[in-house]
Amino acid sequence: MSTETMTRAEAAPAVLPVGRYGYDQIDRTFLRERIEQFRDQVNRRIAGDLTEEEFKPLRLMNGLYLQLHAYMLRVAVPYGTLGSKQVRALARIAREFDKGYGHFTTRQNIQFNWIKLEDTVAALEVLAEADMHAIQTSGNCIRNITSDEFAGAAKDELLDPRVHAEILRQWSTLHPEFTFLPRKFKFAISGSPHDRVVARFHDIGLIARPGPHGRPVFEVFVGGGLGRTPIVGVSLRDDLPEEDLLAYMEAILRVYNAHGRRDNIYKARIKILVQALGTDEFRRQVEEEFVAMDRARYRIEPGLVEAIKARFGAPAFAPAGEAVAVLAEDRRRDIAFDAWVRTNTHEHKAPGYISVVISLKPAGGIPGDATAEQLDLLADLADEFSFGELRVTHLQNVVLGHVRQDQLHTVWQRLSQAGLGTANVNFITDIVACPGLDYCALANARSIPIAQKLSSRFANLELQREIGDLRINISGCINACGHHHAAHLGILGVDKRGQEAFQITLGGSGEEDASIGQILGPAMAEDETVDAVSRLIDLYLVRRENGERFLDTYRRVGTAAFKDVVYAPA
Amino acid sequence: MDIRSNRRDADGQSVITANRLLDGITVWRAADGSWKERITESAPVSNTDVEDLLSSLQGKAQELGLVGVYGVQVQDDTDGKIIPVTSRERIRAFGPSVHPEFSPL
Ligand code: HEM
Ligand code: SF4
Repeated sequence: MSTETMTRAEAAPAVLPVGRYGYDQIDRTFLRERIEQFRDQVNRRIAGDLTEEEFKPLRLMNGLYLQLHAYMLRVAVPYGTLGSKQVRALARIAREFDKGYGHFTTRQNIQFNWIKLEDTVAALEVLAEADMHAIQTSGNCIRNITSDEFAGAAKDELLDPRVHAEILRQWSTLHPEFTFLPRKFKFAISGSPHDRVVARFHDIGLIARPGPHGRPVFEVFVGGGLGRTPIVGVSLRDDLPEEDLLAYMEAILRVYNAHGRRDNIYKARIKILVQALGTDEFRRQVEEEFVAMDRARYRIEPGLVEAIKARFGAPAFAPAGEAVAVLAEDRRRDIAFDAWVRTNTHEHKAPGYISVVISLKPAGGIPGDATAEQLDLLADLADEFSFGELRVTHLQNVVLGHVRQDQLHTVWQRLSQAGLGTANVNFITDIVACPGLDYCALANARSIPIAQKLSSRFANLELQREIGDLRINISGCINACGHHHAAHLGILGVDKRGQEAFQITLGGSGEEDASIGQILGPAMAEDETVDAVSRLIDLYLVRRENGERFLDTYRRVGTAAFKDVVYAPA
Repeated sequence: MDIRSNRRDADGQSVITANRLLDGITVWRAADGSWKERITESAPVSNTDVEDLLSSLQGKAQELGLVGVYGVQVQDDTDGKIIPVTSRERIRAFGPSVHPEFSPL
């Protein structure tokens, strides 16, 4: 892989996309061939030459699911970074092939819920024109590699993880050994000590930092996951040198591929294997594989990293000038703007710049949904204010990475006019919700309506500020696509003899202090659940001590008191 | 098909459903054997007969242009309205609850 990438990387395109790897002719030809192959498969399916059983794995390899009301297309956003042209392509798909919406997901993908089989190839062509695809968004392969939404921008970042995400993406894409793994396999990578990628709940989570001689080293978490059996990943090593990154990943995948259970999907994830062998034994086997393999073949030379990096466009930051002073003055003049800046921005490493989180969680809205018009606006704002680049967050919001501080007020006004100015990031209404039973064929219960009810109940911004940081995540079934276990307050839809019901979990976290939320008690009806959340919040407000978040109070006070306010008779 | 969708009482009634191959849209079988987007136009079948009907239709899914043909039990005593017993099938029938404008009805 390395020599090929090297020669390809030398032929860099003239204009490089900021924050992303610039495709070349080989990538584009490959995508075209895949589309032609799929066109043929679709035609054979429609003609009756392929049965549904034969066709299903083929369509899933191209990101096409069959849901409750229609087909659903899941489009990959590698490491969460999109160019404005790509965002416009997504808007076009929403408009021409869907009902005017896209839904951003917890794995930095976007889903379209109303795609027709007969239109899928045309939709894939629109994507390919913008260097996008839906490959590896389903099936037992290495899925889209997710990364930090503030990559290359955050002040607390030690190095931009997207170059290594791209190296991993190229290595994993269509890797012959890894297209039929025992189960799907998810990577996340971050270059900040503050875990914004849920590294500890991925099959492999990587945290990069600068090492000796300025070359990166990686902490490697393995065997994390949510779903039926939520497990916090274990640190396999803390000091993996950059040059061995691919060799070591390959060694982990080989051990998994050799042992992983293919007979029982509930036991097929690497997390189960790591638990069954124990961390020490798993590590020993990986090391054994690692020393036995032809490491030279996988070695990442500094030249390769430089060549990949050279295919990434870098933002040309202007000097700070008066930008900081202008922002300070704008905040003094406009209280609503000031409130939004406090919640919806993140410190940037370049003086005079700031990162902006655009909330896709308006009061009472559907978390993660964006209309075609909103997508077009986001593309315009990315072009005008952030070097043509937009990021998707795993919390179903979007980010403008690099906005000059003296332009922030204008950005906010434009967002507000389009209903995108909600100042609630990390607050109780910044809810994560999977599609749930409104769309998903696997669901037990609806996720979105309960999110909407909670969002409406707590819409008052003053109240939200009073409550402070609180993560609510909702999944419509135990697959946990909405990451409910990783939430301070999680909600899980269950099936009670064909009717919807909800369990509450408390105490989860997806960050450095990763923990799994614990079930509070028996499942309840939807409205009871919304009331129960209110009572939990009331208790927290009474019991919290200086500056505690909900999670801190819960961890200090313990489950019993919280359980009482929900289940004890009044 | 998922066990939850196939839950049937011996003395109940069911309607027959599938998704259309070409666009994935949910359809329901009418009395004349055609397939309608509205559950209101479907024809309930007694659960004693439904298995036989299903196995004959499942064999013909391809020629009918359908995917995943199965039976859905409907409620009794609803004044002639056809309402599936499970939440899942009610949402399939009436559309996503969060976008009433997308409902087929
Ligand atoms: C709507 C159609 C969807 C289907 C059919 C689906 C299916 C599944 C299944 C079967 C699992 C369990 C896999 C396992 O444990 O091995 C799962 C887990 C998961 N899915 Fe989805 N999902 C859907 C939507 C989503 C969405 C919208 C997201 C966000 C991208 C998502 C992200 C995840 C995550 C994060 C997990 C947990 C992975 C883990 O166990 O570590 N899924 N999904
Ligand atoms: S958690 Fe369950 S209901 Fe929600 S999207 Fe995943 S599979 Fe569907």
